[in-house]
Amino acid sequence: MDRRSLAQKSSSVKHKEEQLLVDRCQQGDRDSFAKLMQLHQRQIYNFTYRMLGSAEEAEDLTQDIFIAVFKGIKSFRGEAKFSTWLYRIALNQTRNRIKYLARRNFFAKRTKREGLEEDMGLETPETLPDSGPTPEQWAMTKDLAAQVQECLNQMGRQAQQILILRDVQGFSYEELSEMLSLKPGTVKSRLHRARNALHQCLAGKLE
Amino acid sequence: MDCRKYQSQFNSYLDRDLSPTEREKLQFHLSECLLCYRQWSSLQKTHELLRQLPTLDPPEHLSAVVMARLKDRGFHQPLKFLTTLPRWLPMGVGVALFLLISVALWQVMPSQYPWQSLFPSSRKNVTTSIGPSEQPQEGITIRRGDSASPVPVMVLRVKDFSRAHQALESMLRSFDKPMPQKRGANPSFHSDSAQLIDVQVPGQRFPHLLRELDKIGHLDHSEVEMHRLANSQQKKSISIRIVIIGNGSDVEIRRLPK
Repeated sequence: MDRRSLAQKSSSVKHKEEQLLVDRCQQGDRDSFAKLMQLHQRQIYNFTYRMLGSAEEAEDLTQDIFIAVFKGIKSFRGEAKFSTWLYRIALNQTRNRIKYLARRNFFAKRTKREGLEEDMGLETPETLPDSGPTPEQWAMTKDLAAQVQECLNQMGRQAQQILILRDVQGFSYEELSEMLSLKPGTVKSRLHRARNALHQCLAGKLE
Repeated sequence: MDCRKYQSQFNSYLDRDLSPTEREKLQFHLSECLLCYRQWSSLQKTHELLRQLPTLDPPEHLSAVVMARLKDRGFHQPLKFLTTLPRWLPMGVGVALFLLISVALWQVMPSQYPWQSLFPSSRKNVTTSIGPSEQPQEGITIRRGDSASPVPVMVLRVKDFSRAHQALESMLRSFDKPMPQKRGANPSFHSDSAQLIDVQVPGQRFPHLLRELDKIGHLDHSEVEMHRLANSQQKKSISIRIVIIGNGSDVEIRRLPK
């Protein structure tokens, strides 16, 4: 059996397992919901973190997203992939949270680099294994990641979300099209614009 | 021109979305054009930076907190009887409530729609807009129909309603042109002991009408209203609304401010 068919089989098993958990959740099984959450919380947390640029807010928003998922799981009919449905909820919740935070000047109040590096979740050079990058290299990577996050924070919500979903989280155009209820062509053109905007932003910062 | 065309393909190239021929052409162009190569290289680096953003671990307590919040809000165990209820039930209850409230309002509200005249007894409240402003009281009110123009209202209190009613009808017939207006279609109030009648009389004959009405019963109208009517005697015709009320009637008049 070659590698591709192995991967397909593994994906199919995972999908069936997930469907079983969803079915149980729909019957009100809390344990299954906890397992389902374990499967997806990392991805959702990273998505919210990249969207908001704050670990605290990301944690709070991730909690709200999963509560909304639990409340609405009975309406999930399996027409789309569970992850697509989950991300639709995440996108809605994130949009609402961004509006809420914007009303409270959350984004304006943030100083340029304040707390950003701490939020990046990177290990400090002291705790790195010996075989890893040197402290100088690490500092550079950390700095670059901070710059990228800063540029993401400065972008419009739509551009930001499409970049994160596609280039950070690796969703396909078809999946993005379903999540965002957009035609694949629109997704593509928005993504291209967003990439160019990020490119310009970073070019300005790293010059 | 070529550069612009190739630069527009950079994003598709990143997504490996170009056909083999397009890809070969672009690669060849990049090997020859330094400007395009620099731009491509820069875009590619940006893309790489984005892809290499570290994946963060969510806080360990995240799922525990969510489960606790669900428990606090009572989401932990759905009530079994709720899950077995049919899905249409909430909508059905909503429709029933809406109908109930509509019927209740219809019973309470004064006449506004023609079909309400089919059920005169269900409509006890009629209100006038004449007279000095007084606070509405508990009881029954009289409203000035659907007429858009203000019509003077005179209240005629009588001892024997049916006899007085007949006398009024014959008296109105004795006039040359005092045709009762829209009697059938008039959304005016009507019961066994009270009636609201719209009439139109020639201006010159208006004092005569007042005298006749005084004979039938006790005509109750304010001086202000009389003054207004007296001034309009020069008019060709005068429209008035007569509210005839028998003794012992449970109909009261509320004079509401204009």
